[in-house]
Amino acid sequence: MTSALHATDLGKRYGRKWALSNCTLDIPTGHVVGLVGPNGAGKTTLLHLAVGLLTPDSGTINVLGEVPATSAEQLGHIGFVAQNTPVYEHLSIETHLAMGAALNPSWDAQLARRRMHDLALDPSQHAGDLSGGQRAQLALTLAIAKRPSLLLLDEPVAALDPLARREFLATLMEVVADNEVSVILSSHLVADLERVCDYLVVLAAARVQANGEIEDLLASHHRLVGTRRDLDSLPTSAHVVEVSHTERQTTVVVASDDPILDPTWSVEPLTLEDLVLAYMSQAEEQRRELVRTKGGAS
Amino acid sequence: MTWFTWRQFRLQALVVLVLLVATAVFFAVTGPHLWSEYDSLRHCSAHGDCASLNSSVNNGYSKVFPFVQALVIALPGLLGMFWGAPLIAREIESGTYRLAWTQGVTRARWVLTKLLVVGAASMVAAGLMSWMFMWWASPYNTLSANRFSSSVFDSAYIAPIGYAAFAFALGVAAGVVWRRTVPAMATTLVAFVAVRLSFAHYLRPRLLPPLTKVATLKHAQNIGFERTPTGMSFVVGDANQPNALLVSSSVVGNHGGTMSSQWLNVHCHALFHFNPPPGKSGPTSVGVRPAMFTDCMNKISASFHQVLTYQPASRFWTFEWIEMSTFIVFALLLGAFSYWWVKRRIA
Repeated sequence: MTSALHATDLGKRYGRKWALSNCTLDIPTGHVVGLVGPNGAGKTTLLHLAVGLLTPDSGTINVLGEVPATSAEQLGHIGFVAQNTPVYEHLSIETHLAMGAALNPSWDAQLARRRMHDLALDPSQHAGDLSGGQRAQLALTLAIAKRPSLLLLDEPVAALDPLARREFLATLMEVVADNEVSVILSSHLVADLERVCDYLVVLAAARVQANGEIEDLLASHHRLVGTRRDLDSLPTSAHVVEVSHTERQTTVVVASDDPILDPTWSVEPLTLEDLVLAYMSQAEEQRRELVRTKGGAS
Repeated sequence: MTWFTWRQFRLQALVVLVLLVATAVFFAVTGPHLWSEYDSLRHCSAHGDCASLNSSVNNGYSKVFPFVQALVIALPGLLGMFWGAPLIAREIESGTYRLAWTQGVTRARWVLTKLLVVGAASMVAAGLMSWMFMWWASPYNTLSANRFSSSVFDSAYIAPIGYAAFAFALGVAAGVVWRRTVPAMATTLVAFVAVRLSFAHYLRPRLLPPLTKVATLKHAQNIGFERTPTGMSFVVGDANQPNALLVSSSVVGNHGGTMSSQWLNVHCHALFHFNPPPGKSGPTSVGVRPAMFTDCMNKISASFHQVLTYQPASRFWTFEWIEMSTFIVFALLLGAFSYWWVKRRIA
């Protein structure tokens, strides 16, 4: 089975700064994938590489088994909703749908019309007059009426109010249920993703920190709390994600497929949010460390 | 893609269409009258009073001619600024390129279609404008007998088609490099004017080896003498070559050499050392007697002649074709650059 997205040592830099580096990922089809990370972590870069708006500076990326944007056919398989859901402000909804029909061979005009009808949007309205939520819905409609095999969404709800956010995600879930479509959507908020995703990629400091099915991630990550100590006593199979010490207590977040049997630790499950935050703060700590070392050296 | 390109371009196209129609109406209203006056001027020997008819035709044109001509000459540049520069820059600026380039159409085809559709429209618009203008202004241009002058040549028939193609491609190229509309428009304007002017002034006269004509100074027009720091120098106006493009004109000695102020000093002594009437200051030429002048001119024309190099009127169409083709080649190069830049560099 081909992967939805397969990246090997993928990297992209702007000038001297790497926006994404050493990214190796293999996301199977059939998932709703959450791409989470702080602002500037490389989420948009990864999605733009996946849809062919950018080309890699190192490594390779394949989407649905093909190099992105190499042919019209390949482009037709991918639905993309860009950040801030760009639309042509001076063109009407109707014209947007006509554009979709003219530019995409597999365009489902009925689906597009029905969606506009369900949303109670007037087709003659200019896209520039739509609310943020309506605009996002229009952009989503343009992406799904292509009948894509993979839907990529870049921070689709970031600019929306809570109600529009909920409606947008509900629509998205409907689409996933009705069509056999894989989805990758990015957000800097875990809460948005938790509701809809079953697969997670944590991106921070231009690198992939963790990825896998959410169920597996939650099952393999633990928070250990115990009296203050060094970490030598942890089993070697456990990968330390984050450590924090207080005067009397040590808290560790570890990834381990084996259960932690040491009775001196009290083992607690993690929420998805905790897990993501642990990876993010570790990445941030490493970044600061790097800057400090560089600063000390010079 | 062609349909959507047209759909996005519709409003901008409409503005220029209105301009073309307005100009056509103006020409249709004023043209026939000017043409009929011109016709009667051509047959005026039967009625007499050619001079007043001539000035009537000239007056009929001269009031509006500069404005209309300015419009015709500026149109290609305006098309480059308002059609070319925003074509891709605006998509990048407003972020809609992320929508456009992720539809089921490759970026290459997207760019190519835009370039071809709007580029062709630019050429058609400039071509129409220029042909209408040539019809309207033909009597005036015939009377002025100066069709090779840059004011006629640059707005005539086919050269503006080349200019429009070039200006448009320039605008697109500036747009993809800047990725912003306003700086791209400014760049287009400056670069277009610079290329057009340098082409007209430096390249056009040298496109083909000019013809040479030797003229006696006996019948020269606009002759005179000019005071210089080292004494005096002889001045002669360009010999009249109807509809030709004058490249150079110089005064040469019959046995070679040029006229020095020393030579003038020796041979036209009387002219140079004439004292102004007592109590009168001002130009020394005041009171030069015609006899002195004629004497000096005879001496000059006995020893010197005028050498002109020029592009003859018969080469007008050759030059129009060369200029149009050259600018279209420029346009193709810039178009290829934009295509490559969008495909490879904006990634």
